[in-house]
Amino acid sequence: MTWLAPALSIAGKDLRLELRTRDVVASVGLFVLLVVVTASFAFPTDGEGREGVAAGVLWMAFTFAALLGMSRSMAIEKEDACLEGLLTSPAPRESIFLGKLFANLSFTFVVELVILPVFIVLLRLSPSGGIPLLLLGTFLGTFGLVTIGTLFSAMAVNTRGREAILPLLVMPVSLPLMIAAVKVSEAAFVGSWSGSTTAWLLLMLAYDALFLLVAIATFPFVMEE
Amino acid sequence: MTVDTRTDVLGAPSAALVEDARSLERSRWRRPLGALTIALFAVLLPLALFWAPEDANQGPAQRIFYIHVPAAWIGFLAFFVVFVGSVLVLLKGSRRWDDIAASSAEIGTIFTTAVLITGPLWGRPVWGVYWTWDPRLTSFLMLWLIYLSYLVLRGYVPDPERRAKFSAVLGIVGFLDVPIVYLSTRWWRSEHPTQFVAEDGALPAEMLWVLLLGVATFSVFYAYLMSVRVRTTRLQEAADEELFS
Repeated sequence: MTWLAPALSIAGKDLRLELRTRDVVASVGLFVLLVVVTASFAFPTDGEGREGVAAGVLWMAFTFAALLGMSRSMAIEKEDACLEGLLTSPAPRESIFLGKLFANLSFTFVVELVILPVFIVLLRLSPSGGIPLLLLGTFLGTFGLVTIGTLFSAMAVNTRGREAILPLLVMPVSLPLMIAAVKVSEAAFVGSWSGSTTAWLLLMLAYDALFLLVAIATFPFVMEE
Repeated sequence: MTVDTRTDVLGAPSAALVEDARSLERSRWRRPLGALTIALFAVLLPLALFWAPEDANQGPAQRIFYIHVPAAWIGFLAFFVVFVGSVLVLLKGSRRWDDIAASSAEIGTIFTTAVLITGPLWGRPVWGVYWTWDPRLTSFLMLWLIYLSYLVLRGYVPDPERRAKFSAVLGIVGFLDVPIVYLSTRWWRSEHPTQFVAEDGALPAEMLWVLLLGVATFSVFYAYLMSVRVRTTRLQEAADEELFS
């Protein structure tokens, strides 16, 4: 397990930094709340099919949250040549990826877990029986989004466009994952677990596993200096 | 007083670069492929417009199928070439494969754009709407977005070594995404005329011949565009290196 210890210490560094500054979670949390409130005014959140609208709004908010958090987390590494420091350290490149991935997942999950109850109250949903499914869908959807996003954010900070280009890279390839995540969240809000829900969960699992492997395999090339 | 900035500031191109540019003109494959493309289109268009039998239900609108379907297939082929080129860039660290992947991505994007334009032109008279969120349309739109983002990314990375690696990662991720995209949009909803050819006898022989000719035409067209684009990409890089090194 020579890769695990450096990965954990990199993730630990990010989490310690976050605990002291609360930069990412505070700014991203407020931003997501603003997205949810704005969307509640913009979309019909009453009547027939409102669970579907709610699921869509939820994942728009989650996508923004993940993108903003990941940009921030990689931009910090770019300051004062931290990235070069990581690269000259004996940590394997794969560990750098996994460390950043753990940290990004933690930030995003914290924001999501805080925003979910608020969201359910504001949009007057009652997913009493669907909460385990809601959490499972949130986990699988976020995992894939953040895996791809962590890989691409390492590329984005080294382009002319900096963080601005990250959404352009992440959103097209994560569209199928988003369809699945929205469908699962909708099923959770309605409170019904059907055969197609299982299929969507398996699709998300396949996406997450495939792109975790691809990201671990390709990240070292992105990080070469 | 006018100053020719090209020669005063940057210096004249080297003899080697000029020779390189001339060799594009003399390239052995470019002219025959170009001539063959024109000849094939000259045969394909009258056959598709007049010779192939008219579809009983769809009327003349169906004839766009001889352009639409070949463009879609060659678009897929182009993106497969991007994938292969991207894998080889990472494995061999060779910029030559990056030129191939980048050129194929550009051409594939043009072909899929043609698919996304011809599809709605057919959809309007046959389905009554320009666009529906059917799996094939949706997955093609997603594919098109992925390769547009590939081209945008390239524009944002000035360093050629880095550009090759970054876009290779996106080329690999984007192509591996295709089956998941297809599956997800199929489960989502469906109304496209699937499997025109696979159903036994569903497609009259004349229609099949014209379709196959269309695929041949677009394959040669793709090869022609590649032969030009890969060369010009290399020339452009050589010129950039000469100017900025």
